[in-house]
Amino acid sequence: MILAILLLLSGDALEQQTQEIAAGLRCPVCQGLSVADSRSEMAINMKAEVRDLLARGYTREQIEAHFVRAYGEFVLLEPKFEGVNVLVWILPILALIAGAFLTRMKLRQLAKGTAS
Amino acid sequence: MNRTVLVIGTIITAALIALLFLGLGRDPKHIASPLIGKPAPAFTLKRAGSGEAIDLASLRGKPVVLNFWATWCAPCWEEHPVLNETSRAFGDRVQFLGVVFQDQESKILGFLEQRGAAYPTVVDNRGKTAIAYGIGGVPETFILDANGTIVVKHDGPITAGQLQSYLAEVLGR
Repeated sequence: MILAILLLLSGDALEQQTQEIAAGLRCPVCQGLSVADSRSEMAINMKAEVRDLLARGYTREQIEAHFVRAYGEFVLLEPKFEGVNVLVWILPILALIAGAFLTRMKLRQLAKGTAS
Repeated sequence: MNRTVLVIGTIITAALIALLFLGLGRDPKHIASPLIGKPAPAFTLKRAGSGEAIDLASLRGKPVVLNFWATWCAPCWEEHPVLNETSRAFGDRVQFLGVVFQDQESKILGFLEQRGAAYPTVVDNRGKTAIAYGIGGVPETFILDANGTIVVKHDGPITAGQLQSYLAEVLGR
């Protein structure tokens, strides 16, 4: 119990963690701004909620899950690497590999044509 | 080789066009709420004017219309008479509750005095309840069934027809 109380964040450390987590949350009333960057009242309230939860000992994952429960994955500026979201990360890489492969094939074909 | 590239290219292009076409019918501002089908987040908030605490759990047993609004929101002005009239029409069968956030109590009381208050309004001072309900703007309306489960989330001003249709559905369950 004493250890848990000692581990609770406060002061500058609490502010820094609040800022980091708020930077990953989307302000729902803004156009592409994070909760950390927005000055809207909604973002200020959300940031206060992050600070409050951190001060009560919640982890970053628990705080993100708290906001996702209400707003859905939309509230996270960076989609989690799970489920359908994996496609967002993998598809560009696959497209790049496929493009490189096709370019190589085409170049080989052109080289063959020039040689013959 | 050229044929293979053509086939693969056609498949990818067709899939992308189909994906974009499906997206055309959607409202880009509408984001499905993850709260549908889940128990409504609990809250106890003070009633505007009286300071009497209203606990959402105490309203179980009948459907609840939970309307998030603010006096600075023009669409909320349009919607207010619809909510008042529908609340009166449904009487004891449905409990209406207004939740105001990002506002001042004096303005709320002035608004209600001028435009009528057929049901109680509570004040969410720190916006915690609005966050728990995933509010992205006002007005937003939630319909809860008699067990306190969220069955509808309506973004923007609600019309009498929409509200009556939602309530007919929830009362018919």
